[in-house]
Amino acid sequence: MAGRAFPGEDRRVWLIIAAIVLGGALVIPLSQALFGLRFTYTVRVVALGGAILGVLSGALGCFAVLRRESLVGDALSHAALPGVAIAFLLAGRELSPLLIGAGVASWLGLRFVAALLTTTRIKQDTALGIVLASWFAAGIALLAYIQSIPDASQAGLDHFIFGQAAAIIESDVRLVSAVGAVVLLALALFWKEFKLVTFDAEFAGANGFRVGLINALLSTLVVVTIVLGLQLAGVILMVGMLIAPGVAARQWTQKLDQMVILAAVFGAFSGGLGAVISALDSDIPTGPMIIVVAFALVLMSLFLAPGRGLLWSRLRGRANRRRFAARNTLRDLYRYALAHGAAESPVPDAFIRGVGDRSAELGLSQLRGDGHVRLGADGWQLSQSGIDLARRDGRNQALWNVYRLHAHELNLPIVAEERYVDIASRLPAAAIAELERRLPGSAGG
Amino acid sequence: MMPLERFLIEFLLNFLTRGELNALLRSPQNTATLIGCLIAISGALLGVFLLLRGMSLTSDAISHTVLLGIVVAFLLMTKVFGVAGDTSSPWLILGASLAGVGTVLLTEMLYRSGLVRQDAALGLAFPLLFAIAVILVSRFVDDVHLDEDAVLVGEIGLAWANSNSHCFEHCETVTVTEDHPAAKMTRQCLNCRALGISPRDRRAEFIEVCGNCGDYSPARAWSAGLLEREPALVFFPKSIAVTSIMTLLTLAFVLVFYKELKLSTFDPALAMALGFRPGLMHYALMILVSLVAVGAFDAVGSILVIAFFIIPPAAAYLLTDRLALMLLLSPLIGAAGAYFGYDLARGQLFGFIPIAEGIAAVNRLFGLALIEAWDSSISASMVLMIFILFTLAWVLSPRYGLISTLIRRAIRRRLFEDQVVLAHIHNHQHTAQAATELRVATLHAHFRWTPRKMGRVLARLRALGFISIVAGGALLTERGDGHVHRFRKTMLEAHNMPGVD
Amino acid sequence: MEHPDRPALSIDDLTVAYQEKPAIWDIDLDVPEGVLMAIVGPNGAGKSTLIKAALNLIPRAAGSVSFSGLPYERARSLVAYVPQRGSVDWDFPTSVLDVVTMGLYGKLGWFRRPGPSERELALGALEQVGLADFAERQISQLSGGQQQRTFLARALVQDAQIYFMDEPFAAVDAVTENAIVNILRQLNQRGKTVLVVHHDLQTVAEYFDWVTLLNVEVIAAGPTSEVFTLENLQKTYGGRVSYLHGGQLMTASAP
Repeated sequence: MAGRAFPGEDRRVWLIIAAIVLGGALVIPLSQALFGLRFTYTVRVVALGGAILGVLSGALGCFAVLRRESLVGDALSHAALPGVAIAFLLAGRELSPLLIGAGVASWLGLRFVAALLTTTRIKQDTALGIVLASWFAAGIALLAYIQSIPDASQAGLDHFIFGQAAAIIESDVRLVSAVGAVVLLALALFWKEFKLVTFDAEFAGANGFRVGLINALLSTLVVVTIVLGLQLAGVILMVGMLIAPGVAARQWTQKLDQMVILAAVFGAFSGGLGAVISALDSDIPTGPMIIVVAFALVLMSLFLAPGRGLLWSRLRGRANRRRFAARNTLRDLYRYALAHGAAESPVPDAFIRGVGDRSAELGLSQLRGDGHVRLGADGWQLSQSGIDLARRDGRNQALWNVYRLHAHELNLPIVAEERYVDIASRLPAAAIAELERRLPGSAGG
Repeated sequence: MMPLERFLIEFLLNFLTRGELNALLRSPQNTATLIGCLIAISGALLGVFLLLRGMSLTSDAISHTVLLGIVVAFLLMTKVFGVAGDTSSPWLILGASLAGVGTVLLTEMLYRSGLVRQDAALGLAFPLLFAIAVILVSRFVDDVHLDEDAVLVGEIGLAWANSNSHCFEHCETVTVTEDHPAAKMTRQCLNCRALGISPRDRRAEFIEVCGNCGDYSPARAWSAGLLEREPALVFFPKSIAVTSIMTLLTLAFVLVFYKELKLSTFDPALAMALGFRPGLMHYALMILVSLVAVGAFDAVGSILVIAFFIIPPAAAYLLTDRLALMLLLSPLIGAAGAYFGYDLARGQLFGFIPIAEGIAAVNRLFGLALIEAWDSSISASMVLMIFILFTLAWVLSPRYGLISTLIRRAIRRRLFEDQVVLAHIHNHQHTAQAATELRVATLHAHFRWTPRKMGRVLARLRALGFISIVAGGALLTERGDGHVHRFRKTMLEAHNMPGVD
Repeated sequence: MEHPDRPALSIDDLTVAYQEKPAIWDIDLDVPEGVLMAIVGPNGAGKSTLIKAALNLIPRAAGSVSFSGLPYERARSLVAYVPQRGSVDWDFPTSVLDVVTMGLYGKLGWFRRPGPSERELALGALEQVGLADFAERQISQLSGGQQQRTFLARALVQDAQIYFMDEPFAAVDAVTENAIVNILRQLNQRGKTVLVVHHDLQTVAEYFDWVTLLNVEVIAAGPTSEVFTLENLQKTYGGRVSYLHGGQLMTASAP
C-alpha cells in the first residue's frame, strides 16, 4: 500500500509475539533437557503465578501508560499497604481478605486525591505525593504494631512491601487466575469503549457513551490488577511491573491491540523470570528483580525497536539527510550548469561546496554513488541519468506549486501534499494535464 | 563532624551541666523528637519552593535515587577501602547527594529529549534505581544500620545509641600492649587448622596473642575499667550533628537567597532578564534536597522522607497566600507533626488521647482480641501526625478550607441563581414573548429547574425587592433593574479581559 | 434561505457556569435547518462552551437544548462533533482509518465490534477529505491539517443532520482549509446544518451564510448579510476591531 508507514510491520509484530510466547513456554522443558536444570514444584508454581500476574499488569498497564497515569498507579500501590494490615487484624492471614483490604485502601486513597483536587488548589502531583506518603506511613505503623503482637502468625505480611515470590502457593495461583480471567474478559468486552475513551473522551461523550462509567470501570480493573500483583512485586515497586511492559511494547508497534498483547507477553516474561530468580535465591526480593528484568526489556526496546527505537531513528535520520542533500545538490548543479551553457557543462568544485557546505559533500557522494554525477578535470559534470532526474524533479516541484495555488479553483481532488512524491501517482492524468497548462512559461499560463 | 559536635556541646554546656546534657541526649524521646523536628524544618522549608514550582514529586525522585548513592558509597567504603561503613559519614553524604542530583539531571535530560514522558520516567527510571539499591542491600550488605528495614523506616528510635563520645576532663587515653597489666593473653594454635589436628595433638604449635590490645578512647577505656577516675564525657548522637548541619544550610540558603528564590519561582523569565540565573537556583535547590534526603536516611529511611518535603508545605499552602508566612507555617507544621508523632508511636494521640482505648473499642465492636498496647514505628507515626495536621488545615482553613469552601460555594451558587433569573427577566420583559417566558407558573420549565428551586429563588428576589409579580408574570422593579445593570457591567467587563477562556 | 417551523437546533435560556461564574448566560438561539453557521466572538466569550453544553459534555446551570424538537438523549444519531485538534494525544497507537471508524462506535452500541462494512464507510469518508492514501498510517505521522481532516472524516462517517465543529480552521494549511470549505459546502447542499466556531473574521462572509455573534450573551444571530455588521462586531468585541471586508480595511474602536 502506498501510504503505509512501515510495510510488513503488522506481521513482524505478530511474529515477535509468537516467538516470545513459544520461547517462554519452552524455557522449562528446554533448560531441563539441555542443561539438566531441575525445577521443583514450588518454583514451577511461582513461575506460573508470576507469568499470569505479568500478563494482567502488562495488559492493563498499557492504559495507564497511554493515559499518563503512571504516578496514579504508584500512589495506588503504595496506598494499598494499610488495607492489607487492617484486613489482617480483622480477618487473619487469608489471601482474599488481604486483597480486598488492599483494594479498599487504594480506592480510598484515590477518593482522597479526588476530594483534594475538587475542593482545594493543590495540584495532582502534590495530592498524589500526600496520599502515597501518608497511606504508606499508616501501613508501616500498623505493621509495626502487628509485629509487637506476640503471636507469630503475622509472619509474611512484610512480603507485601518488597514482594516475595516464594510465598506464593498453588491456591494463590488459582485465585489470581480466576480473578485475572474476569479482568481480561472485561477488557475484551469493553475494548472498543476503553479505546475510544482513552483516545478522545470528549468525542466519546458527544456520541452518547457514558464516559464517567467507562473510566470508573477501567480504573477498577487497574486497581484489581495492582492488588493482585502486590504479593509478587510489593507495594513499592508494583508501578514498575505495571508500566514497564507497556512502555517497552509501545516502541514496537503502532496499534493498540498489538501493544496490549505484546505488553502482556513482556509482562509474563518479566514476571515469570523475576519470580523464578528470586525464588531460587531467597536473599533477593521479587519486586526489585522483576523491575530489573522489565527495565532490561524497556532498554532493549528503546534502542532496537524498528521505527521508534533510537538506533533505527538514528539510521533513518541519516538516510533522510543523505536523500535530502542529494536532491538539493542535484538541483544546484543543474541550475549552475544551465546558467553556464548546457546541462552537461561542468560545475567548479569550489562553487558547489561553497553553496552547500557540509550537506554538499553528503549529496555529492550520494549522487556519485548513484552514477548521476562524475568529477571531471574542470569540476562536477552531470551524467544523462542525473540530467533526467533533475528535470523530472524540477517539473514535479513546479507542478506541486501549481497544485497548491490553484487546486481549489480548478476543483481538483484533494490529496496529501508530499513534495517528493511523484505528483502523477497521486492525481489522475486529466488533473496533471490541467496543472501543466498552468505551469509558468507554458502557453496557457 | 567531630569538631563541630564539640563546638555545639561546648555551646550547650554554657546553659546546662554535663549531667543534664547527657540525660537530655541519652533519652530516646528527646533525641528522636529533636532529629524529627530538624528533618521536618529543613524538608518543609525546601518543600515550599518545590510545591510552588510544581516540582513536588522531585523529592520522590531524589529520595529514590539517593538510596542507590548511599548503598554504592557504603559498599565502596566497606568492600573497597576496607573501612567501617557509616551512613552518617560526611563523605558518604556528599557522594550520595551528588549521585542523586546527577541522576535527576540525567533523567531531566532524557525526558526533555522527548523519548520518555515525565510520568513514565518517574514511574520507571526511579523505581529501577531503587530496585537495584534494594537488591544490593539485601544481597551484599550485611550491616544492622543498612538493611531493608532501615531503608523503609530508618531507626530514629535508636538514634540516641549511635553516638560519638566527647571527653572534657580527665581525658586519659590508654594504649594496652602485651605487657600492660590489663592485657588479656590467650594461646592460639598456629597449625591446627592447616593440619586438621586438635590442639591436644602433640604436633600442635602455639603462640601467645593479646586479646584486647590497642588504643582506647577515654569513653572506651572507662567502660573497659581501665581508668580509675571517671572522665567527663558527653555522648552526642551522630544524626543530630548531621541533621543540624542540614537545617542550618537550608535556613542560610533560604535567608540569603530569599529574593532570588521568590523571583525565580514566580517569574523565571523576569528573573532571567534581571540576571538572577534561575537555573542556578534550580540546581542549588536540588542539591539541598538531595543533601537533606541523604542526611535524613539514617533516621527515617528513604521513602517516608518525601512526606516531610510534600505534606507540610501543602498544609501551609491551604492556610496562606503569602510566601513569607508559608515559609514560617510549613516548618512549624512539620515540627509539630514530628513532636506529636513520637507520642503517637507510644500510644498517645496529641499527647493526651490514649490509642489503647480506641483499640479496645474496636475489639468490642468486632469481637476481636487485639492487643491494646500500641507501640509502633516512630518515623511512620511522625508522618501520620503531619498528615493529621494537614487534614485539620484542609478542613478548617478559613480561606481554602473544606468547610469555608463549601459555604462560600453555596453562597455563590445562590447569588448566581438570583442573577440568572434576574438576567432572564431583564432579557425578556418588554418583548413579544414576555407573556410566555416570564409566567411564574411555568418559569421553572424554561430553566429545567424543579418548581421548588424556582419558587425559592423567586421568593428571595421578591423579598430583596428586585422583582414584583404582576398578573402571574415576573417583572423587574426599579431596584432590580439597577442591580441587573450593575452586575452585568462588572461581569461583561471581566470577560473582555484578554486571555480568559 | 428557508425558515422551517422547527429549527435544527433550539437553545432556550441556556446558562453554563464554571465554579459559579457564568461562561455563557441566558442564551436563546434558534438555528434553522440547512444553514452554514459561524459562531464568532472574542477569547473567553463561551464559544466552545456553547457547543459543549449543547452536546451535554458539561453540566448546564439552567436552560434546555433541543435538536429538531428532540432532546439530546433521543437526537444523538442526528449530531456529529469535531472537537479541537489539540484535545487528544496524537501519539496514541492507532491508524487514521481506525480513528475514522471511531465515528461509528456510537451506532454500534455496547460490545459490538466494527466489521468490514464499517471499514468501507470509513474509507469512503477518508476519500472525501483526500486522505485515502493515508488510511493505514499512524496518526502521529500526520501534519496538523491532516489531523484536522481525519477528525472531519470521523464526523462525516456519522452521517448526521447537525455538525458541530470547534475551530476546524485553527492553524491549518491552505489545502486543508480549502478541503474543509468544500466539505462544508457539500454538507450544506445536502441540507445538513453546520455550526462552526470560527476565529477568522476575514472569511466569515465568504464561508458562512449564517452567523452568531457571541460574548457570554448572544449579541446578534441571523443571516450573515444582515448580522455581520461593523456595529454588531463592535458590540461583540467591545471596540478595537479591524478586518478586511471586500478588500477594504475596516476598523472600529470603542466609542
